[in-house]
Amino acid sequence: MNAAYQFVTGPLAWAAWGIFLLGSGYRLISMYQLAKTKDATSIAFMSWHFSLRSIVNWLIPFNALGWRKSPVMTVATFVFHACLFLTPIFLVAHMLLWNQAFGVSFATIPDNAADIMTLVVIAACLYFAGRRLVQPEVRYITSGKDWLALVIVLAPFLTGFLAYHQAISYNAMIILHVVAGEIMLAAIPFTRLSHMVFAAFTRAYMGSEFGGVRHARDW
Amino acid sequence: MKRTLPLLLSAALILAFAQAAMSQQDIKNLAPEAFGKLTRPAAQFNHEQHNEKAGLTDCVVCHHGGKDGKIDKTASTEGTPCAECHKVKPEDKSTGLMNAYHKQCISCHKAKGKGPVACGQCHKR
Repeated sequence: MNAAYQFVTGPLAWAAWGIFLLGSGYRLISMYQLAKTKDATSIAFMSWHFSLRSIVNWLIPFNALGWRKSPVMTVATFVFHACLFLTPIFLVAHMLLWNQAFGVSFATIPDNAADIMTLVVIAACLYFAGRRLVQPEVRYITSGKDWLALVIVLAPFLTGFLAYHQAISYNAMIILHVVAGEIMLAAIPFTRLSHMVFAAFTRAYMGSEFGGVRHARDW
Repeated sequence: MKRTLPLLLSAALILAFAQAAMSQQDIKNLAPEAFGKLTRPAAQFNHEQHNEKAGLTDCVVCHHGGKDGKIDKTASTEGTPCAECHKVKPEDKSTGLMNAYHKQCISCHKAKGKGPVACGQCHKR
């Protein structure tokens, strides 16, 4: 147990963070190179004003027409993404691991709040899955890659919930939880989760084209 | 025959409670009052069992002395509660109470390759 725990929280954690950070950098640079050779005009019309205008307008719930058209999805996705980031970053137990490893310390959220936020993430994943199965227009464009991304995100929260409540086997669950989190980190640059890296640029691209070329809003 | 099952059940219940009552005295938790309301369940620690398992006879291995954030492994402080030196929220650079426990236990368990290292292994529900 100790050897396994030290391996997954030591070398494997370094590897996961390395793959996540370097992989994200690589994806950004290679995407920029691709845009330069295949879509040079798009780079020419990129504008800070139209980019930020689009990003800000899409960040406000129910502001964009796309959000207003599917209100349930809007609530689900905003709550999901907030909990997805806040829970693991500000969890007491996670902060203490940073503290033990690097001596850093920062504000945390109470455990019972984190518990509820974890359930929110799990529930949202189930909603997204149901939507992909039931809603025809979503089902039509769903592929294996979408399911993979959903499972990769669900896994660390499900195992984290079970480990926190010490259900089934704690020793196995905590190792699974750490590995699931590391898989998620490492998968960000190379799966559908790469929208974490690209979303701002996608929005900027759309905003710039709609603002500067079509002279229209894109929200 | 009709009475066997209730008899067996009550016998099992009595045994279960008796066992819980007996083992209650043996279980020792690390829950100093200084912490106040605990964030996680108190860390389970049976002093005698631990030292027997770890083959510890020298108190100073855990009950160290020191000052100004430096551990003195020669000055034994057994009998002094950890919370006396390690404050919950230290005002100077000294190690806080929670960190003192975490560092003391986890770093030794890591070095020895034995003993609990993950949160729930000590903070059992």
